[in-house]
Amino acid sequence: MKYPPALSRLSFSWYSENAVATVIFAVLALLPAFLSGYVIYIVPQYLLYGVLAMSLALLWGVAGILSFGQAAFFALGAYAMGLAPHWTSSVDPFYLALLVSLLIGAVLAGVVGYFLFSAGVRDVYFVLVTLALSIMTEQITVSQSDITGGYNGMFIPRAQLSFGGVSLDLSADVPMYYTILPIVIGIYVLLRLVVASRFGKVLVGIRENEDRVLSLGFRTSLYKTAAFALSGAVAGLAGALYGTHASFVSPSLAGVLFSTQVVVWVAIGGRESLLGALLGAVGVAALSNYLTAITPEYWQLVVGIVFVIVIMAFRGGVAGALIRLGSRPPMEPERG
Amino acid sequence: MAELLRTEGLSKRFRGLVANDAIDFTLQEGEVRCVIGPNGAGKTTFISMVSGHLSPSSGRIVFRGRDVTHTSVPARAQMGIARKFQTPSVFDRLSVYANLELASFGKPASAAERERRIAEALELTRLVELRALPASALSHGQRQWLEVGMLLANRAELLLLDEPTAGMTAEETRATGELIRTLADTHRLSVIIIEHDIAFIRELKAPVTVLHLGRVLMTGPFEAVAQDERVRSVYLGKE
Amino acid sequence: MQTALSVLVDSMLITFVFALAALGLAIIFGLMGVINMGHGAMLTLGAYFTWFATTKGVPFVAAVLLAAAGVGLIGLLLEHFIIRHFYDRPFETLLLTWGFFLISTELIKIAFGTDLRTVTNPLPGAAHFGSFVLPAYQSVVALISLALIVGLGVMLYRTGLGIKIRALVQNAEVASLLGLNVARAYKLVFVAGSAAAGLAGALISPMLSVDPYIGNIFLVRSFFVVIVGGIGQVLGGTLVGSFLIGGSETFFALFSGQVVAQTIVFMLAILVLRFRPAGVLRAQ
Repeated sequence: MKYPPALSRLSFSWYSENAVATVIFAVLALLPAFLSGYVIYIVPQYLLYGVLAMSLALLWGVAGILSFGQAAFFALGAYAMGLAPHWTSSVDPFYLALLVSLLIGAVLAGVVGYFLFSAGVRDVYFVLVTLALSIMTEQITVSQSDITGGYNGMFIPRAQLSFGGVSLDLSADVPMYYTILPIVIGIYVLLRLVVASRFGKVLVGIRENEDRVLSLGFRTSLYKTAAFALSGAVAGLAGALYGTHASFVSPSLAGVLFSTQVVVWVAIGGRESLLGALLGAVGVAALSNYLTAITPEYWQLVVGIVFVIVIMAFRGGVAGALIRLGSRPPMEPERG
Repeated sequence: MAELLRTEGLSKRFRGLVANDAIDFTLQEGEVRCVIGPNGAGKTTFISMVSGHLSPSSGRIVFRGRDVTHTSVPARAQMGIARKFQTPSVFDRLSVYANLELASFGKPASAAERERRIAEALELTRLVELRALPASALSHGQRQWLEVGMLLANRAELLLLDEPTAGMTAEETRATGELIRTLADTHRLSVIIIEHDIAFIRELKAPVTVLHLGRVLMTGPFEAVAQDERVRSVYLGKE
Repeated sequence: MQTALSVLVDSMLITFVFALAALGLAIIFGLMGVINMGHGAMLTLGAYFTWFATTKGVPFVAAVLLAAAGVGLIGLLLEHFIIRHFYDRPFETLLLTWGFFLISTELIKIAFGTDLRTVTNPLPGAAHFGSFVLPAYQSVVALISLALIVGLGVMLYRTGLGIKIRALVQNAEVASLLGLNVARAYKLVFVAGSAAAGLAGALISPMLSVDPYIGNIFLVRSFFVVIVGGIGQVLGGTLVGSFLIGGSETFFALFSGQVVAQTIVFMLAILVLRFRPAGVLRAQ
């Protein structure tokens, strides 16, 4: 006898997340037709922050592993973009930098992750190590000033791409916009597929009850390592694109403050929803940018207070609260 | 019948305390065995060593002819040794179905085979109609069943059940007994059960091993054990 | 020979500064297992309170005591209104104490500005022994640090209150059955740890330029001191951890830059965390 897979109680949010994501990405795709200037310049940067936030949401929201070190991968990706022209004359450095940033993130996170997870280092201790990872990355980029420019940072020329005969000048805002947006959408879709896959379901199990997953025959340390490596790769890639977009990278991009900023975005947006994390980053970064001009002293204070309130009262962040508002009362058990 | 599990001189010492002292134990395929004993007899320590959650101080564990004494928890689970914890260990925020589905991923199988396993587990544990509910919404007894169902969906061959009827109503306890009999008789699963409920053990009509102070006091049919003088004195505290 | 001696003395002084900075965390995190990511912010607050009080003409010693009391009071408010509701949820505690750091840093910026502040060294002298120098203020701080650690050890192992607190750390349920008011004990320990952090920030302030992020330098280091020394080993653990972290940082800085030295020390601390999670003092 066979039953249709029963819908989980949260199923409503899955369908609504698809709808909301479609609408948002459609609006973003059409935006340059209606707006120009600063908005078109800055939105891709917020979206890349959003990708960084999704890399954390995969780790924290899905697998229950909090990292204070995502900025380290992001910064390394950006430095890869800046340094790539020195490495090659035959391959287009832009593509090389994207590849290298993915690999650096994946390998560094994979090695650190396996080293720690295989010994059962978890929770708070993992947070501390990732925090140290950020600090070390920041310090190394400061100290290796011959390569990185030290405190002063490094300028990165925007790339000129060519596909076959067509060339694309990324120094203009609109081509940059339409280069970054599809990548962001692609990463979002990819991560959604990962979460819905067997692998993603095992990660959710690890978040809920790691010992049970282990006792069912899964080597959880490998799953956690893979999740961290994927998260590092995504953060690294976002960093590389950020580097070319901002045309500048400095050690503070790896620092504790930026690293924890990511945690704040994801907590406020909603850690258990990739879209929530993405929009949390875009929303908080955009508001920060806007309000810092008006009231620089009080804006960060407000962010801190909102963060504390979210942690105390709304586990799911804004996305979680909306889902709860939108979902129906608990379903009656279905008749099978 | 072939031998499924054997322990030889299995011992566990915690600092000075000897929790298990040279336990020799064998279980045949398809056999149900109750392990009883007063508090502190070493029952949970014993099955924790069989499942791999504790490593023995000395002795050997052999499963299907292979020495698994130093095999990790997930590797033993892969071989078919599955553990139900004393307090139900399920995924509270996931639906009943998602709990079983996750368990079914534990070993490679086709989607159709997994579906069949999940459906069977839902059926046997009487959770078909509750499959969309989060596990946290189930009663305590239903959560115990769900955990047993997860072991089925996980394609376990040896079930280690640590007090599966704890906190159950009389009716639930009776149904649990039926479930275990069905698993052994029609699904050819082997089961080791730790229990306190004497009525439940009698109903199960399974051989009983009595542990006392970390040692095997005796093994035999329920009636023989119930009438044994040593067992009675252990339980009544007249040593 | 003299170089070796002066490195040793430098290492000892650094060790005691690190131990002092970590003491509050050793109490809150090491003893109670509460993850206080606001520890750095508490050091910063202690430093600013000292700076503020001394600029208003308060004598240095009084300013230090005021700073410790002030940060203790802030710890009391934090514990009472927020942290005590989350003792059983370590992740939330971690995030909420981080939120405390964010808020407190912004309030410091609003109240005191973002400029570097300096606190005048109250004991500018130094003792000269041949070519090496023993700065007076650092030496006094080292002695205070040692006295605080020993005093805390005596309190924990020799007094009734200390024995009760240790019982609480072992098993809260049993401690409450023995008639210990668990909620009050937790509050007391949190406030003591906060005040210790405030005191440390106050005493360290004349050695560094004070800025709103000064405590961050010590946040991760303090966690590593507590972890390397061994959770719950307040007396020996804090000293051993500080010696390993501070001493090796001084040592490696001889051969490389300060920055590289700190990176190496962090890596060593991570190795300890991986291979001896109970700390170097405890058998596995």
